[in-house]
Amino acid sequence: MLIEQLINGLTLGSIYAIVALGFTLVFGVLGIINMAHGEIFMFGAFIGVMITSTLNAPLWVAFLGAIIITAIMGYLLERFALRPLRHKQGVSHLAPLISTIGVSILLENLSHHLFGAGNHPFRTSFAEISFQIGSITVYLVQIVIFVISIVLMLVLTFWLGKTRAGKALRATAENLETASLLGVDTKKTILMTVIIASAMGGIAGILVGMAFNSVTPQMGLSMGLKGLAIIILGGMGSVRGAMFGGLILGLAETFIVVYGDSGYRDAIAFLAIIIILLIRPQGLFGQKIST
Amino acid sequence: MRGLMKKLVGLTALSSVLFLTACGGGGNEESSGAEGGKVSADVGVVSFLTGSGAAYGEAIQGGLKLAQEEINAKGDVKINLIFEDSAGKQDQALTAAQKLINSDNVTAIIGPTLSTEMNVVGPEADLSGVPIIGTSTTAEGIPQIGDYVFRNSIPEALAIPASMQQAIDKYDVKKVAILYGNDDVFTKSGYDTMKKTAEEMGLEVLTTETFQKGQSDYNAQLTKIKNLNPDLILASALYNEGAVIMDQARKMGIDVPFVGGNGFNSPEVINIAGESSNGLIVATPWYSEKEDEKVQEFVTKFEEEHGHVPDQFAAQAYDALYILADALKNAGSSDRDAVRDALAKTKDFEGILGNFSFDEEGDVLMDPTVLVIEGEKFVEFK
Amino acid sequence: MLAELINPYYLQVGCFILINIILGISVYITLSTGQLSLANAGFMGIGAYTSALLTIHFELPIIIGIIIGALVAALCGVLIGIPTLRLQGVYLAIVTLGFGEVIRVIFVNWESVTNGSVGISGIPHIGREILKTLQGFGFQPISIGLQNNQFIFLSIFILLLLITIFVIWFFRRQHQSRVGRAFAAIKLDEKAAESMGINITYYKVLAFAQGALVAGFAGAMYAHILAYISPADFAYHRAVEILIFVVFGGSEVIWGPIFGAFFLTLMPEVLRFISEYRYMIYGLIIIIMMAVRPQGLIDVPLLKALSKKGRKRGQKHGTGNHKSM
Repeated sequence: MLIEQLINGLTLGSIYAIVALGFTLVFGVLGIINMAHGEIFMFGAFIGVMITSTLNAPLWVAFLGAIIITAIMGYLLERFALRPLRHKQGVSHLAPLISTIGVSILLENLSHHLFGAGNHPFRTSFAEISFQIGSITVYLVQIVIFVISIVLMLVLTFWLGKTRAGKALRATAENLETASLLGVDTKKTILMTVIIASAMGGIAGILVGMAFNSVTPQMGLSMGLKGLAIIILGGMGSVRGAMFGGLILGLAETFIVVYGDSGYRDAIAFLAIIIILLIRPQGLFGQKIST
Repeated sequence: MRGLMKKLVGLTALSSVLFLTACGGGGNEESSGAEGGKVSADVGVVSFLTGSGAAYGEAIQGGLKLAQEEINAKGDVKINLIFEDSAGKQDQALTAAQKLINSDNVTAIIGPTLSTEMNVVGPEADLSGVPIIGTSTTAEGIPQIGDYVFRNSIPEALAIPASMQQAIDKYDVKKVAILYGNDDVFTKSGYDTMKKTAEEMGLEVLTTETFQKGQSDYNAQLTKIKNLNPDLILASALYNEGAVIMDQARKMGIDVPFVGGNGFNSPEVINIAGESSNGLIVATPWYSEKEDEKVQEFVTKFEEEHGHVPDQFAAQAYDALYILADALKNAGSSDRDAVRDALAKTKDFEGILGNFSFDEEGDVLMDPTVLVIEGEKFVEFK
Repeated sequence: MLAELINPYYLQVGCFILINIILGISVYITLSTGQLSLANAGFMGIGAYTSALLTIHFELPIIIGIIIGALVAALCGVLIGIPTLRLQGVYLAIVTLGFGEVIRVIFVNWESVTNGSVGISGIPHIGREILKTLQGFGFQPISIGLQNNQFIFLSIFILLLLITIFVIWFFRRQHQSRVGRAFAAIKLDEKAAESMGINITYYKVLAFAQGALVAGFAGAMYAHILAYISPADFAYHRAVEILIFVVFGGSEVIWGPIFGAFFLTLMPEVLRFISEYRYMIYGLIIIIMMAVRPQGLIDVPLLKALSKKGRKRGQKHGTGNHKSM
């Protein structure tokens, strides 16, 4: 039973981690908490459902479709909700937060109209593949999710640390003006960041759809708030922090069910952020915040 | 500065005066009545049409509209429906009801969708003397709000013990596990009934697990339940979540039957969970496969219009309007008090849900049918 | 004659507008020191639950229940305000958001007291209690030509209107006082304010507690008007809704949230056909406002322009406009 629960916790944690990676990327570069990330994630899941069940297309098409659509959403988000605020004089640093809350409300209600309020099953034969180890059933999807989350983390770390684009990105994060003076196309860099983060949300959406066979318009809010909690737990802007924060939360939520009261499962994330911000505001893996 | 303050206070006062005058038409004159033996009436509907529960509102709206067409075509009674959205929120449900009661002068109200909303709207309608019929409010204590409050939705306290009793007799159940959504009124009150019934029947409750709205991962709770080896799982969930729970449970290798509450009962369960839904036992007033002319006619018509089989929400709304039309006919006028008295006398009404009567409190008197999903189809449980 | 003019529906809408105005002001107060609190839905819940439980279980008069409810909310405001002092901007917003969610989860799980998600029904209703009291003195609404339910809602509306006017008056006075100037200084530049000798800790916690007090008060009123509350009333969506009043109306002057709450509560009622798209419109409003007019519709220049116009017409002697607001 312990091993089964461990697998449950790791699966949930890996999904949280992928969602949190999208959050942390945007925060790391722009210093913005993207409250609409959860809804973009939800759209990714719906696109996956539409492509696999309505069009009967294979899974890779669903992935491709979800990535494309969520990337476009990321573009629109940056273009219309973030960019207009960037160079405005006297705009409070809270403005982008509020603006993305607006986007999240818009997207959640839009999905009600587009997809209906009900639950959509995610049917692919891939999600049915499982194997038996002793008395434990492990689904291939669970392993895939875990692997994808690790791969994404490694790729992001490498990309940010070693490649030219990654360096430009970090320079932009450090100081927008200086980076732009040094010849970094900051506009493009920021746009790319938001698009990549959104596409990662789309991937996470499909993975959740497959793993839990459940896609609803409400899943965005709940997942978005969890992702938020994780990046605060792990340290804002930290890739490693998002990964481990996600795994920690996933395991904690699973094990409170095992040993405690499942009624408080949703509160863990929020209690964690309150405690972490009071004790160690920079998060587990974050660098000291200078405000 | 002070001048501006005054101006704004004046503005506030002005706007409140505007409120008051704008409602000039809100008196108590009869907006409709009996003409030449034909009774015509405005009936208000407060329904959950936008937001997370919009699926219920849509089903209810569909059922009502179908009934309205048929009733108006028959010609004994002419009903005009006025729909208002509550978005599932109490304050909006209350304002919607106030509008219907005071501005539209409706004879009666159907709805609201949720028991939480009824807890707010019911007392107000009762105080204003407007008969109100809940078609989906199953929590305890609803008809007890007042003399004008009725419901035709079968309460959990009637449905759950019926299905539990039959399941226990058939499968010789001793140990059960309970799983319920604790942040929803509907599922929470279903759980209360389950717990009480389990205690009365002397069952051993191995564990009680909860889940919350928007959650899509039930694996942790289900793994825990699986390792305790219950004979039966009592799941108080709405069908959207319930179907996912069954899907994840079956994938995990839990093969014991599930007993669900009222909200679990929907053809959508089969749509979502497929063959994983086999083994779900629910008690319901509504059985779409019933060999009854009226039922089949309703199912065909509804399917033509909406593309899917009607669920209990649609069926209960459909019957509610027929019950109301019946009362209007018997009352012979659209006077609110006369309609209330006629409604209270409803006895042995034959609708698509079967034989229906109100008890003296305005609650439901009828026998639910116990159904089970077998081979991805609802069949009668024997 | 009066009877025909008073429609409980309009009074009901009026009551919700007033409650929303008070809620909008509660966010505005905290924001006037530059702190964004998303916990006000939680404070509202604390006020509502405290007052409801006290009036039901201990049969306290409603007025006492409401006062204690507001005070308990303020106390929670202090408790959350002190440790979060060192957090700023976005971090503070997220912690308060988390706090609000934790409050809701506690309401859901603490069943023995809060009755869980089923909620508390049968809360004494202010209007009905007023009527009962007056009837005890031999007064009948019919004597002034009113139906009972007309009288009930009229009395609530008038009561709320007086309270709202008082709240506006109080915070406008405060804004022009030493406290208000300290708030403004902190919002502008915390470090500079500190070096000027302003006790930042005191004023920030004060702003937080005042916001919580006002939100708790609004929550308690809400409980006694609806006579039923459940945890879902005080969830994330409520917090966002309150925020929208301020964002839309404006966060620089107190008239901003007042206008925002007034307009956004009335709009879906007047245009009921758009109610299906209400939340989509809310979302759009936020995005557009942030991009085009992040300070909200009503700001200082607009008010100045308005009052100048008034002065030109010679109707008002708006002395000292430049000094305040």
